[in-house]
Amino acid sequence: MAPRDVRAARDVGVGEHVIEVRSLVKRYPDITAVDGIDFDVNRGEVFSLLGPNGAGKTTTVEILEGLRDPTAGQARVLGEDVRSGYRRIRERVGVLPQDFEPFDRLRPREAVGYWASLFDHAVSEEDVASIIETVGLADRANTFALNLSGGEKRRLGIAMALVGQPELLFLDEPTTGLDPGARRELWTLIGDLKRKGRTILLTTHYLDEAEQLADDVAIMNHGKIVAHGSPSALISQFGGGTTIVLAGAGRGGYEALVARGIVAELRGIDVLVHVPMASQVRPMLAKLASIEIPLTEIFTKRSTLEDVFLKLVGARMEEGVLAA
Amino acid sequence: MKRILADVTAFGRQYLRSRVGTFFALAFPVILILLFGSIFSQSATPQVPLYVQDKDGTPTSQAFVLALNKTTLIAYRAMPPDVDFVGYIHDHSINVALQIPLGFQDDVNRSRTDRNTTTANVTLAGDQSQSSYGIAASAVGAVATEFNFRLANAGPVIGIKTIPVSVRQLKYIDLFLPGIIGFTVLTTPMFGMTSICAEYRTRRFFKLLATTKLSKAEWLAAKVGFYVLLLFLSVAIMMLVGVVVFGMQATLTPLAVLLIIAGTFEFTSLGMVLGIFVRDPGTGEALANAIGFPMMFLAGSFFPIDAMPSFLQTIARGLPLTYINEGLRASMVFGNEGTALTYLLVTLGFAVVFFVVGTRGLSWKSK
Repeated sequence: MAPRDVRAARDVGVGEHVIEVRSLVKRYPDITAVDGIDFDVNRGEVFSLLGPNGAGKTTTVEILEGLRDPTAGQARVLGEDVRSGYRRIRERVGVLPQDFEPFDRLRPREAVGYWASLFDHAVSEEDVASIIETVGLADRANTFALNLSGGEKRRLGIAMALVGQPELLFLDEPTTGLDPGARRELWTLIGDLKRKGRTILLTTHYLDEAEQLADDVAIMNHGKIVAHGSPSALISQFGGGTTIVLAGAGRGGYEALVARGIVAELRGIDVLVHVPMASQVRPMLAKLASIEIPLTEIFTKRSTLEDVFLKLVGARMEEGVLAA
Repeated sequence: MKRILADVTAFGRQYLRSRVGTFFALAFPVILILLFGSIFSQSATPQVPLYVQDKDGTPTSQAFVLALNKTTLIAYRAMPPDVDFVGYIHDHSINVALQIPLGFQDDVNRSRTDRNTTTANVTLAGDQSQSSYGIAASAVGAVATEFNFRLANAGPVIGIKTIPVSVRQLKYIDLFLPGIIGFTVLTTPMFGMTSICAEYRTRRFFKLLATTKLSKAEWLAAKVGFYVLLLFLSVAIMMLVGVVVFGMQATLTPLAVLLIIAGTFEFTSLGMVLGIFVRDPGTGEALANAIGFPMMFLAGSFFPIDAMPSFLQTIARGLPLTYINEGLRASMVFGNEGTALTYLLVTLGFAVVFFVVGTRGLSWKSK
């Protein structure tokens, strides 16, 4: 059972909805964690649920994984209703739960073999080695999980999720708590899986992660989806075009621009000029060049998902992570 | 079945790679057997040290001391004849001591001719609240009575005839080891399962397992399977130590084997039932201790239930471990297979109830 390239399946089923969510609600006595959300995930795409902690991402994913029952609404995974078809669904999906921890005293080689047996998959030693190779743990295959690094443990989790050749992978905050190097390595791994045609539902609160990996992003806040689309579409729709940054221009520079009728924003010692249309960037740069402003550097910055967030959610960034 | 075997293998690997778990399952019962076996197996009845001050130093007083020694109840210790009797007892923290006064032999001889006015007295001193005092008093009383009979040229009218009721000549270890097997059948799976449930919940392993095809019943069956294997290894080691070190004669009968399997099934399931209420390792440990420790003492693992007050005996009859301990003793020691079979059925009844409650009550999913 070597991990197969599922691109063929993707080609056949492009546009097919692997996940369909309609008016989904999860209510607790004191909070509505998921508040009537709708979205679809197409076969072969990486779909990201993006939002701050407490937005309802994990609750949504756990409903789709069959680990929680919804209060209302409908959720279908691979054509099966999550409530009635839970047993059939779990044979066809792979799950990396939030804060995944492996069994301490099992080696990756043993853990992957064990996990395959729990799905009734017949796997040979070669199959296990192949999966471990896929996630880049070949040289750590015989190390107790206890002694793996944080990033290696998550890789092991992804290896375990891959044992059933799943049509759909749920990766719930796979890089949370990892150092930047380990995060980048996991991004590469997820990118490889995406290129092989895996459908992936990725939850994250890292904006750069969603921007880097996702084909489609649903931004969640307080249990609702506040925006949905590709990262570039969201940025062009909500991000506000391009920003010209006059680094080090300070208050003097800001007042000089305002005096000439230019709308500007003072952020620290930098002055920002927002240009909504790409065609207006060059004329604005020419106009700014004609004004005598003391500065250290001038550059343009395309809007990012962070700007979308600031606009839609009002969330701020703390070390690259969205704060609620 | 394949999933159960896979879980037994994976769980077994993890368990046996944990030194703490292996120690408590395999080494700890052996330590208990060696400890208690050494304390209680030296003789059927422990000898009480009796300090004797023979101030008379005559053939009669020496014959009295010799007769005391022959009772095997006391271990003779000489007290110097010229020291203060009571002071010596205090200074040397002696529990019980006997003084044979100067003129003892003369008094004995006079009493033979003048029985109404003369008696020969010895003095027994000690802490009457101690059991050793009672044993010494019994020994001294028996020797004095024997002396009286001889002096009166009389003999006992009522004698005691003894008939052994056990097939084999039993030793302390024969009665003790089934209790230790019962103790291990309780502690290893129940404490283990409670701790596992706490760990699996806090580390989200239950959620992870819920995404597989493994059912809760299969998971629990795998744990029962592993603990049965582990306990047979443990019992084999215990039996070996009992036979080699203490010459134990109790044997592992087929019914005893079934009782061990049923008991493991029962207490693994009870551990899962406790797991329903456990939220973290701390509460798991506290809950297992609160249930396990009183049960292991009340159910006759270390002391016979018949020696307990009647209200405690009533409580003991309601405890599942009682039927394993008593069933194992009935089968392994007394060859009473009828009683063992009854207790096996009671144990299976408890096991089925715990299994159903555990698998239905413990949720792997979130609410």
